[in-house]
Amino acid sequence: MMGWGRKENRGSRAVQARLCVLVVLVSAGPVGLVAQEDLPGVELGLFYANTYLPALAMQPFGGAFGGNELAPQIEAIIGRDLRNSDRFEVLDSLPDALVGDRVDYTLWDRLGAVWLVTGTVEGAGDGYVLLLELHDVVYGELREQGRFRLPAAFDEDFRMAVHRASDQVVTWATGDPGMAASRITFSMRDNTGNEEVYVIDSDGENLRRLTYNEDLSTSPTWSPDGGRIAFASWKTGVPRIYEIGTDGGGERMLPAVRGAGDYITPTYHPDGQTLAFTVLGSDNQSGIFTYDLAQDCCLAFLSGGPWYDVSPTYSADGRWLAFNTLRFGDNVPQVMMMPAEGGAAETLSPYEYGGGGFYAAPDWSPHGDLVAFHGRIDRRGRYHILVANLEDGGRVLRQLTSEGNNEAPSWAPDGRHLVFVGERSWGFGLMIADVTTGRVRSLLGGRRVDLPDWSPALPPPE
Amino acid sequence: MIVRRFFVTVFAATLLVGACGGDPPPPPPPPQPDQDSLQRYNDSVAAAEAERRRQAEEEARQRAAEAERQRLIREARATLEEMVFFDYDMSEIRPDAETTLRAKVDILRASPQVQMRIEGHADERGSTEYNMALGNRRAESVRQFLTGFGLAENRFEIVSFGENRPLAQGSNEESWARNRRGQFVITAGANMINPPGN
Repeated sequence: MMGWGRKENRGSRAVQARLCVLVVLVSAGPVGLVAQEDLPGVELGLFYANTYLPALAMQPFGGAFGGNELAPQIEAIIGRDLRNSDRFEVLDSLPDALVGDRVDYTLWDRLGAVWLVTGTVEGAGDGYVLLLELHDVVYGELREQGRFRLPAAFDEDFRMAVHRASDQVVTWATGDPGMAASRITFSMRDNTGNEEVYVIDSDGENLRRLTYNEDLSTSPTWSPDGGRIAFASWKTGVPRIYEIGTDGGGERMLPAVRGAGDYITPTYHPDGQTLAFTVLGSDNQSGIFTYDLAQDCCLAFLSGGPWYDVSPTYSADGRWLAFNTLRFGDNVPQVMMMPAEGGAAETLSPYEYGGGGFYAAPDWSPHGDLVAFHGRIDRRGRYHILVANLEDGGRVLRQLTSEGNNEAPSWAPDGRHLVFVGERSWGFGLMIADVTTGRVRSLLGGRRVDLPDWSPALPPPE
Repeated sequence: MIVRRFFVTVFAATLLVGACGGDPPPPPPPPQPDQDSLQRYNDSVAAAEAERRRQAEEEARQRAAEAERQRLIREARATLEEMVFFDYDMSEIRPDAETTLRAKVDILRASPQVQMRIEGHADERGSTEYNMALGNRRAESVRQFLTGFGLAENRFEIVSFGENRPLAQGSNEESWARNRRGQFVITAGANMINPPGN
């Protein structure tokens, strides 16, 4: 399904052949910084398919048995989620007097709507039941409907339960997963210069601090079940990898299984058991390793030597690992990929042999063969978010940002959105880009945030 | 000479007069100061004073020497802790850093008990995780430079802080240049630093 056969056949010979082409290019062209646009076989640009977004209307939600008061709030959450999904033009602020509370397909058709969402909130025990309907305005028929159990409004899962309903609407209309029921973990610097780990909901609500180490704690990453977060902290003086629950409790430390060194950049294998991470130390103990933190066993060595391989990220099927390496030189970090059990690596970023080229911070999409990273690609030395499509042999790079500096992308569970750190004239913030439409929105502005990691779709609490 | 003879004569006459009466015997004459011993006495006092002076001078000299030694130790310590700086996105030791590191080598050779932690730092540009690797590479190239002069590798531990512990907060070349650095922390033997050449 993912078409890996071709890639498996491409070995280091293919890489060498590609490098030869680049050598020819560099010697023929101006020496020094060759603009990416000039590389043969590499297309780079802000190109987007001319995306048609169907208009989706929200009819004011009704309520019963005590659900009336919550109905407008739930409607607002869902309206914003559907707008954030970047799959619809959402019409949700039409006057009640115009739209009424009955489904009038003719009216909505005249207003240009293709989809119509209606909802009713009913009190039920401690919580509520949300009845959602998706109507096809063009065909004038009810397409899907569902009942969603919501906890009480003060329950900490309340908003997440509404987000799950929003994601269901996205799936009804498009057949694709949504990403509203998810969170983003990241580190944030405080006034003393320390960094702590935080989480925030995908819609920018519920900012919560998870660590109180009063030191450097960064590179947080979600476990595949969304139940744990691993990160690196310097709190003992040297960086070590820790794992905590999503409430910040239950901390455990990965022991120094490879001896002294810097233990950094953790990531989980999709099986949820194995943690991949980097050890930087003396030459014979550096590299990317895996360890079963739950069983406290089974150290495996994947790549390394004095190459400074960092930032590992797994493909969704767990068979491949992309990472960042300094092996071509300090100032030309590149993104490479290798089999998950280790083996020959090939460059994934468009390495300019003997020239410049700065690519870092890869993140592998949860759906399909896309790897996002950032690169210094414009002539002013700014950093932008790029997406490499491996279906095209990693040679088609899409640039998602065009202003400021942009770093450290991470994929949403819908495989369509990316969160990243944006630096603008007003400061730093978490930003979200939609790969399909190119739309960018701000999630959390004006804070010194770093290294966001988007959670998987979060299941309801047990 | 005449004066002294006169005195001697008077003194003898007095003795004779006293011997003739029934008066109690005169007190024994005060000991005749012996000219040689007086001289020796005076000499010894002078010698003691000279000795005291000499000792005082010696102490002052020692104090000064000790103060100088302490100053050299402080200087040596400052030299050991002196930062080195790097070029943008590079971990190569610059010529100015070589001079600084050579001075450290001389002190470390004279102070075998001293152990150090080398901290590698980066400026904020690039990528946070790449900068962790770059900081480690910088610390490692400092360690390799030092061990290249025969210093034992186990005297140095290295740690990278990436871009997360900047010295200067600005987002400009001046701040960045300050932040691309190797820092040194003495972890053992801080009271056993010997200045080079001792």
